[in-house]
Amino acid sequence: MSLEIRDLNKSFDRLKVLDGVSLTFEDGGVYCLMSPSGSGKTTLFRILLGLEQADSGKITGAEGKRFGVVFQEDRLCEAYTPLENVLMTADKAFTRKKAREELCRLLPEESVDRPVFTLSGGMKRRTAICRALLAPCDVFLMDEPFTGLDEDTRLEVIRYIKEKTEGRTVILSTHQEEDVEALGARLVRFG
Amino acid sequence: MRQYGRKTGRRLLMALFWVMVWQFAAVTIDNDIIMAGPWDTARALGRLIPTGEFWRSIAMSFRKISLGFGAAFAAGLGLGSGGYCFPLLGELLEPVMALLKSVPVASFVILALIWAGSANLSVLVAFLVVLPVIYVNTVAGLKSTDRKLLEMAKVFSMTPWRRIRYIYIPALVPYLKSGCQIALGMSWKSGVAAEVIGVPDHSVGEKLYMAKIYLNTADVLAWTFVIILVSALFEWAALRLLSCLAPGGGADESGNS
Repeated sequence: MSLEIRDLNKSFDRLKVLDGVSLTFEDGGVYCLMSPSGSGKTTLFRILLGLEQADSGKITGAEGKRFGVVFQEDRLCEAYTPLENVLMTADKAFTRKKAREELCRLLPEESVDRPVFTLSGGMKRRTAICRALLAPCDVFLMDEPFTGLDEDTRLEVIRYIKEKTEGRTVILSTHQEEDVEALGARLVRFG
Repeated sequence: MRQYGRKTGRRLLMALFWVMVWQFAAVTIDNDIIMAGPWDTARALGRLIPTGEFWRSIAMSFRKISLGFGAAFAAGLGLGSGGYCFPLLGELLEPVMALLKSVPVASFVILALIWAGSANLSVLVAFLVVLPVIYVNTVAGLKSTDRKLLEMAKVFSMTPWRRIRYIYIPALVPYLKSGCQIALGMSWKSGVAAEVIGVPDHSVGEKLYMAKIYLNTADVLAWTFVIILVSALFEWAALRLLSCLAPGGGADESGNS
């Protein structure tokens, strides 16, 4: 069932953040949301995740769906290792060995067992991406996931995202048009 | 390593300096009832250590005070968690905890003597003194939990056990450690004070009381030294145990939130 957003409105005090936003995301589609900074992409994601209430409007197709999320900030448990961060949101059946193998595809092997607070910004970002991709979910929401990644790493991460999300819906916000092409995504502009 | 050795050496020299000041004061006053010197205290300690009663008294006081502390820790943790999860319970408990914090230890001792008798006096007094400290720190620790991590846990449908283990405990441990540092010292001070008033058999408090009765200042100081040592060991062990609960000893390393 596709995810449909109809006439969504949201204000914070007098500031109108979402003004009648209507979007449709088909099942299995890959979408890149592009809009100027402050135009409400993060708020839209928060409403989709049930972390914020819309003032008005309707969302259908989100009920019962499990979301794998890359937040704008990494939101990792900093005292724990990337391995533990991945395992804490993964299925119980997902083994430590498998998690290590997956993490090693995006991170240097030595960093997998180090506390997150000792990692660089780029490594933390890749850990957050890995956590979202390895969690059991139907829809991926990624809020500017490539922030802080260099060009080569970004392309490597995009390849990994394409492999892991195949057949599932991906909604990703970005400021770079190249991401749309690299992901083979549909471009959605709003705001 | 060399710097650590130098630091330890300097501390030892400073301690030695104060022992010499103490000895100088004792020699100047020249009255071992008013001021027993370090040598007299060491001799008193040397006399006490080989006796069975010395170890029996320490074991009994330790058992009772640590029982009071342990029970208060568990109750404070449970009630604090309850108060955090159910605000109405928190509001209900708040005046009780505020009252417990402000009641003088002497009043506790007298009330405990009436309620529990002298045998379990130190258990009850240690419990009443420690409970509000652990309660307040538990509530504060849980309130300090990173909202953004809790949102992450909700979005990823993390199980309650995983939320407790990875999000709540690391937030709670620094507060519990700081609460324990205060409460452990307080439990020993108030527990022994209660024993001095209630004079239960075979307790450190009883020995302090008897030393006072016989005007044996060297014994008072020797027992005081023992109380400080046992209390410090207890604090060290309890804090080590708490540190094991969270990675990195529960230090606050969160940088992204």
